[in-house]
Amino acid sequence: MTDIPLIRLADVSKVYHLEAGDFTALNHVSLDIMEGEFVALMGPSGSGKSTMMNQLGILDIPTTGELYISGRNVAKMTNLERTHMRRDAIGYIFQNFYLIPLLSAYENVEYPLILKYKKRDTTGKAAAVLKSVGFDEQMSSHRPTQLSGGQQQRVAVARALVNDPKILLCDEPTGNLDRKTGYQIMDILSGLHKEGKTVILVTHDPKIAEYAYRTIQLEDGRIVES
Amino acid sequence: MRDIFFDLSVRSVRLNFMRSILASIGIVIGVVAISTMGMLGTNMQLETKDQLSAGANTIVITPDVVRMGPPESSTTSSSSSSTVITKAQLSKIKLAAGSNASAIIPIYSTNTEFTLSSTPGRGTIYGIDPDYITKFLTIENGTNIVGANDALVGSTIATNFDLKIGSRIKVGSSTSGSRTEVRIVGILKERGMAADSVSTDNAIIVSDDWYTNQYGGKDEYPQVNVIVKNIDTITDVEEAIDAKLNTNEKTPVIRIRDASSMLSNITSTLSTMTTFILAIGGISLLVAATSIFNVMMMSVNERVQEIGILLSIGTETGEIRRMFLYEAFILGIIGAVVGGIGSLVIGYSVVSYMIGTTDYFFQPDSIVYIPAGMLIGIVVCIISGLYPAWHASNMNPIDALRSE
Repeated sequence: MTDIPLIRLADVSKVYHLEAGDFTALNHVSLDIMEGEFVALMGPSGSGKSTMMNQLGILDIPTTGELYISGRNVAKMTNLERTHMRRDAIGYIFQNFYLIPLLSAYENVEYPLILKYKKRDTTGKAAAVLKSVGFDEQMSSHRPTQLSGGQQQRVAVARALVNDPKILLCDEPTGNLDRKTGYQIMDILSGLHKEGKTVILVTHDPKIAEYAYRTIQLEDGRIVES
Repeated sequence: MRDIFFDLSVRSVRLNFMRSILASIGIVIGVVAISTMGMLGTNMQLETKDQLSAGANTIVITPDVVRMGPPESSTTSSSSSSTVITKAQLSKIKLAAGSNASAIIPIYSTNTEFTLSSTPGRGTIYGIDPDYITKFLTIENGTNIVGANDALVGSTIATNFDLKIGSRIKVGSSTSGSRTEVRIVGILKERGMAADSVSTDNAIIVSDDWYTNQYGGKDEYPQVNVIVKNIDTITDVEEAIDAKLNTNEKTPVIRIRDASSMLSNITSTLSTMTTFILAIGGISLLVAATSIFNVMMMSVNERVQEIGILLSIGTETGEIRRMFLYEAFILGIIGAVVGGIGSLVIGYSVVSYMIGTTDYFFQPDSIVYIPAGMLIGIVVCIISGLYPAWHASNMNPIDALRSE
């Protein structure tokens, strides 16, 4: 680990230009997240959590201010560089799983490997990662619609992990799961944190937030507690 | 192993099988239309060319008898033009053509009635020096004219009247008393529409001596054919003859034409026709393109969230474009393959029905329309998929993810 923060937001604002007028979703936010941290991002609806996650996932760039990931200013990267960073450095876990419906469970996990190496996986890595998150091997040829919510989220976690990213962005990962399955997923994430991953978790649920070692409270686009 | 984006496209087509097939039918129709129309036109051209090219090295010289001017000018021109080519003019032609000509063939001809064992018929009778006959006509059966009363007949007459070597024909009107009989010594090969204006299929060929004995007009030829040694010199020879005989530009005495100008006229007319009917086929492909575009846009719009997922986890925009172009390509391939098979069957039937022969169907110039039509079908599909693919790859991943 180095002293340089893995993620640095320096006076970041995000303003959406809507018909009704400008809407400031993030208002001069500054924040450092070090490698290996487990951070929970909390706040009421409309507080800017999703906008923050979009920034951290470099799906979007700040209107003003600067965002650095692994020391690189994302606003100065090309579209292709940002795409490659999303592919290689960041793993996404969504509330709605967002698996690719036309691919099997196995292929969903294999997909990021194909994106990275431009060929089908012959190393067995996809299968190994799928197994490591406790996914039943016999169901790996099933399509997402044939899987339960918990199984889908395990596939999604495996997909997020397969390219060995430094950062795991988890947007309400338990939001669509029953309590028991939710905790199982959180145990997996907790284990990954212990293995050295930087985990950033958005949640409404204080119980789930307790897994994190640091909680950031957002309100009206500002950090009120960190 | 296959490209995952190709797999995704195949699965998308399979998922919307009915819709995809219906869109492909448009391409099938387009490919069949283009290929069939193209083959029809080409077969027509090939057949005509084949029939005409027999006399491609021949210059046809006829008296310039058509006068379409005001009456006062016709009096002046009548002095310089006549309805036949005279002996003097023939000598001039021989002089002008010189060593470039392999044969200069004066041809007598007229229409006549004839009777074959009391069945009357009508056709052309040609009087040609027997030595020249074999220079441009092919005797399929029998021999050339030797005796004074020997004659050759064209294939149509031979078939219609069931003529054999040795059959006899009475030439002349059945009411006329002075009818002479000729004996068939040979039957000519089918010639079709000949470029050298000697259409023998429905004709009787006799020696020039027999002809002038029967009809008179010795050394007054309605037509002289010059066969050149080298086809490349045909224009030079024509110019030389023109310069020698048509000394007065305003009142030319002879008319000179050759198969190449006739051939190029007919070919250009036919190729205009081919282009026109191809354009009709093209319209059907345009309609097909619209339906492919529509299906591709539907596919993109139904998969917005999926595109959002793909983009957010690091899929390059080029890879998204490729996925949708593959889909268009698959629709094109389905349409093109079915269309290609359809073109073979339908094209063959149409050509057989419309032209009456499929001799030219499998010639490269004709059959090439099938792969060409298929290729055009695929290209049209890919072009139709360009905008939808571009649209998909340029989506904002955040907005795309949010859409349900």
